Amino acid sequence: MTTPLLAARGISKSFGPIQVLDGIEFEVNAGRNIALCGENGAGKSTLIKLMTGVYHPTAGHVEVDGKPVVFPNPKVAIDAGIAVVHQEFSTLSALTVSENIFLEKEPRTRLGFIDRRRLKADAETLLADLGIDLDPGRTLDRLSVAECQMVEIAKALRTEARVLILDEPTAVLSSRETEHLFRILAGLIDRGMGLVYVSHRLDEVFEICTDITVIKDGGVTSSGTIADYDHDKVVAAMVGRDLGDLFPPKATAALPQPPALAVKGLVVESGLPPVDLEVRPGEIVALAGLVGSGRTELALAIFGAAQAQGEVQFLGESLPRRSPGSSLARGLAMLTESRKTDGLFPGASVGWNFAATSLGKDAQPYALSPANEERRAHSVVERFAVVVDDTGQPIDSLSGGNQQKVLIGRLLENAPKVLILDEPTRGVDVGAKAEIYRTLRALAEAGVAILMISSELIEVVGLADRVLVMRDGGIAAHLTGADITEDAIITAAAAGDAAGASLDRDPANV
Amino acid sequence: MSDFARAIRFQPVHLVIVGLILTVFVVGAVHSERFATLTNVSNIQDQLVVLALVALAQTVVILSGGIDLSFAGMLGLLTVLFASVAGGDPAVFAAAVVGILTLGALLGAINGGLIAFTGIHPLIVTLATSSIMAGVALLHSNQPSGSVALFFEDLVYARLFGFVPYGTIYVLAAYFVIGFMLWRTQFGTRIYAVGDDERAAAISGVPVRLTKLMVYSLSGLIAAMAAIYMVGRFGVGDPRAGVGFDLRSITPVIVGGTILAGGRGGVLGTLLAVILLILLRNVLNFLNVSSFYLWIVEGLIVIVAVSLFAARASK
Repeated sequence: MTTPLLAARGISKSFGPIQVLDGIEFEVNAGRNIALCGENGAGKSTLIKLMTGVYHPTAGHVEVDGKPVVFPNPKVAIDAGIAVVHQEFSTLSALTVSENIFLEKEPRTRLGFIDRRRLKADAETLLADLGIDLDPGRTLDRLSVAECQMVEIAKALRTEARVLILDEPTAVLSSRETEHLFRILAGLIDRGMGLVYVSHRLDEVFEICTDITVIKDGGVTSSGTIADYDHDKVVAAMVGRDLGDLFPPKATAALPQPPALAVKGLVVESGLPPVDLEVRPGEIVALAGLVGSGRTELALAIFGAAQAQGEVQFLGESLPRRSPGSSLARGLAMLTESRKTDGLFPGASVGWNFAATSLGKDAQPYALSPANEERRAHSVVERFAVVVDDTGQPIDSLSGGNQQKVLIGRLLENAPKVLILDEPTRGVDVGAKAEIYRTLRALAEAGVAILMISSELIEVVGLADRVLVMRDGGIAAHLTGADITEDAIITAAAAGDAAGASLDRDPANV
Repeated sequence: MSDFARAIRFQPVHLVIVGLILTVFVVGAVHSERFATLTNVSNIQDQLVVLALVALAQTVVILSGGIDLSFAGMLGLLTVLFASVAGGDPAVFAAAVVGILTLGALLGAINGGLIAFTGIHPLIVTLATSSIMAGVALLHSNQPSGSVALFFEDLVYARLFGFVPYGTIYVLAAYFVIGFMLWRTQFGTRIYAVGDDERAAAISGVPVRLTKLMVYSLSGLIAAMAAIYMVGRFGVGDPRAGVGFDLRSITPVIVGGTILAGGRGGVLGTLLAVILLILLRNVLNFLNVSSFYLWIVEGLIVIVAVSLFAARASK
């Protein structure tokens, strides 16, 4: 048994009265890639921050090469050879690749000026070393998200690192880009680095990890070499229950009514094909497709948040001038893809976020009623089992899943007849996903028409009554009943694309 | 893009500005035979020095994601103090210059400190300090006063080769130094990083607060350079010397392609835009157009420039 490069020994961490981690044992060995799995809120991020000097343990300690160490700040951890690629990028889009990689560590001339020639050469060497094909002189606003991620990794490895921790590195990557990332990571493992791989995507874990540690509620529930695990065993360790009841049964009754939402010849952007679609009361229709196939743009156009030519009928009535305000007033509500930028008022309270689209609902004449808003907020907290101490606390102090529950609750306040949901379970843990699925199905059964955009194939297959597959801005396929399979969706979404076209989200992400 | 183009932060819009400069020049030359003379070309250079300097200061601040609206009060205060301290005595001239540059940097540092450590928006901070400085300047002397050594006035009015005022050299040197600083110093990279994304810059280890403090301090230093030149040119310090330069300093920055949100742009575009705007002012004078129209024209130029860049950014 060799000495681990990095280890957590009986580490515990409390924030005030809340115990987040309890006696965690974790080892990172040379030439190994250990997966760190767990639901959102299980304590993965806290563990990483403890091992990289961002937080300090309440009990236990960190070891490097078998010797106890204390990291007073992240810089000391970096100097000890522990590199991290955080989920949130630290790259700057206005700077070049080389400027990003060596930010604050720029090579200097003898006079103290930045040595531009060496900056470029060092970046070229590092990128070539990692097998990343990027021009160091390009600014990052000309790069794809995946390429920015490569820059982020190069930046983490600019110093001599022996341990690389990656937190959800593929969250924004297509599958082809993910493969490229994996090749780079395999190279790092080959040269004896120790990797920690945090991911929700279990098929990736099985593809590139050698070991696995699962944590739940702040403790290690399972740990071993990956060969001893399969998908179900990992999920069981993460959730502590079976996957079988994740999806509620689909609609069985016939849906005779006229469509609640009918889109006719909608042209989202000149040059794109016109789109027709219908959603009936009581059904869940999924829009599947690759990233960039135009799903979000279509949804925004229907909702009235983006300009488009064509007709949108709502309950048989044509809507001439659409805007988010008029749509909401008529009973057409939308959950946006990006919770952070287009959904929440970060910093504002849970209660206020909840009431924001229905402020008039229980207002007195000429005045809002905070008391009524709070009462309504309390009812949604109860209904969706939102984990929150007080509806007055800022919404960004909640986990992603709980934020999403508040936003879905907000949508329902206006008693919508049509719901458009863009990636409703993004960044949400398994338990909350199941609750969201049940909520959506219950709404459909109550007669709401639901149009759902999802990149998670298992979700599309498990939940949707009908599937529209988009490609290049148009509807490429219409699948119903038993025809809804992952294969059929992938085929329709990627047809005509270059071989190996990337279906952006993978099915195992539950 | 070649390294050189990147070093000078070249943008295609710069060619458009150069084209406009040539067009305006030709229009002026066609309209009046006194326009394209060495005398007028020297005058144009004299006229652009102050605007070029405050716009240079503003460029650095805007690149860092901020804005500095304190020039109105600051130029007034600095010219009044400089003219009263320097007086006509050549013996104290050098000390007065050093003193006023230091004071400019310090006043700027107060702006920067308030912005970096209180989190109050730079717009509010600099408007407030501008008002305070204007008040102090007017209390000190409520009309143009003081004087400066004659040799300095002579220097300001002297021309190299008959058509290059020393003011032009002064401006070019300042632009070169700041341009070099932005390209080849760590501070320069930090300015772009902070202006692009404060959070990401902080995660990357950039000392965001220190950078802001230094940016506004540098802005105050460059404003002091402008104030010294103003006293040399007008022979007195004027508490109202800075009036209008709060907004006028922003116009050339935006027209020159520096993005108001920060992180993108450079000093070359600002310099070209200053030349264009001053040339336009000069030609309109020759065309006997009231200078009041120029206020309207400059306002329109800003709106057109910003909407053009906004349209391009949203593509």
